[in-house]
Amino acid sequence: MQSQHDHDHAHDANAAHRAAPMVDEISDFEVLEIAVRELAIEKGLFTADEHRRFTEWAESIGPAAGSRLVAKAWTDPAFKARLLADAVAACREIGLDWAEPTGTGTPSDYMEFRVLEDTPNLHHVIVCTLCSCYPRPVLGHSPYWYRSPNYRRRLVRWPRQVLAEFGLQLPPEVEIRVEDSNQKHRFMVLPMRPPGTEGWTEEQLAEIVTRDCMIGVALPRPDRKADDPRPVQPARRPVESTSANRAAG
Amino acid sequence: MPSRIDLRRLYDTGAQLAPAVHQPQNWPYEVPHDRFEAYMWPPHDVAGQADIPVRYEEKEEEEWELKTYVTCEVLGWKGIWNAEERRRRGNNDLGLSLYYGFPYYGRWIWAAARMLVDKNHVSLTELLEKIAEVRARYGKS
Amino acid sequence: MANRETGNVLARFNVGDRVRVKDLPNLFYSRTQMYVRGVSGVIASRTYQSLVPEDEAWNRDEAQPQQFYIVRFRQKDLWEEYPFDNDTLQTELPEGWLEPATD
Repeated sequence: MQSQHDHDHAHDANAAHRAAPMVDEISDFEVLEIAVRELAIEKGLFTADEHRRFTEWAESIGPAAGSRLVAKAWTDPAFKARLLADAVAACREIGLDWAEPTGTGTPSDYMEFRVLEDTPNLHHVIVCTLCSCYPRPVLGHSPYWYRSPNYRRRLVRWPRQVLAEFGLQLPPEVEIRVEDSNQKHRFMVLPMRPPGTEGWTEEQLAEIVTRDCMIGVALPRPDRKADDPRPVQPARRPVESTSANRAAG
Repeated sequence: MPSRIDLRRLYDTGAQLAPAVHQPQNWPYEVPHDRFEAYMWPPHDVAGQADIPVRYEEKEEEEWELKTYVTCEVLGWKGIWNAEERRRRGNNDLGLSLYYGFPYYGRWIWAAARMLVDKNHVSLTELLEKIAEVRARYGKS
Repeated sequence: MANRETGNVLARFNVGDRVRVKDLPNLFYSRTQMYVRGVSGVIASRTYQSLVPEDEAWNRDEAQPQQFYIVRFRQKDLWEEYPFDNDTLQTELPEGWLEPATD
């Protein structure tokens, strides 16, 4: 949903900031990727069809699923209780099965998922300080900054400074709880429903629950349907996808 | 009056001018315990290390990055490795220079290639010949 | 994934127990972050049973699974200079890395 909003503006900023990438020659990582994939198929470790099936799943995921979970939790207290008690089971109620696409989940995301509920006195923010653990089935692929050493280094120790850099300042009375997802659990933040959304439908509410709100670096606002504009570093050879679900990150 | 972009470039360049003392490491006779501990500290465990504010920017995904993610996951799906085993560990086995010197998914594909050789799914010679063949196929010098 | 279903070990700690993270040496690999080592916190949740990363990373599928816990720390306990009393941090650790806290 918040995928294409600021591309054009940010492209300009980056074009001036960084040298234009060379697109004519294949990169060493592209070569290595092709070599590994082709060898694996030639050796019968997996089939091209299995690779294609997983790719289709990987291109179908995005933060829209998480937004729906939040909007439904805001409007249906019984669903919220189920979501907080057993998030994987609650996901099935909106048609999202953590067992996809293999029948036992993805090899990296596991099937342990918890939703962290914000309250007036408690704000959650997620990080994986060791790599990039992220609830892919509900939020899609993590943004690059989330994977960056900088975010991983600083968030656990200077969370209020990092949040302030994202434009989020919270009073000291509000407990900030950093969730470092260093093992097999994956986490998502359930932010508080903002004032000014009384009477909204689930669909309307879902539109203001952006990816950053579910990471915990932003709060939903009735007047904001996309994450705050941030510079976008364009891909040298981007994924050729037609999936509308696919976010920039 | 420089633009904000010019200013940022100036700041970045200025920061690169900070003096550094390099101590060549040529198989020292002794390694102090503190340094040994620092060497053994897995590169991925960065939490709490000091760093300065940066611009958190989005990065569009490259085609090879998505394919690398999928290849690594399908290798896991088929039981060739598990995510912990050779990918997250393999990401550390690169050592610090490459841990920071490669893009995020560069580490993944490196670890996958290394695993295929370590587990005797392909020989190193097969891998090298395949890389050479792919380079030639795409006209890479 | 399948590994996590196999364990049925007794969990040593309960929610609310104070635990201290062991400070084992570093060698090769770990998912127990340096910043929690030697620090005491409270069991916030008992989660699943699984191979520990030290076994899983070398494909020791036959190893004994361990109980995992989400442990809550006060930021002031993790970072001496941390200025805000209320703030906390949670992370997940296997039983073998935890011992009863004495502080």
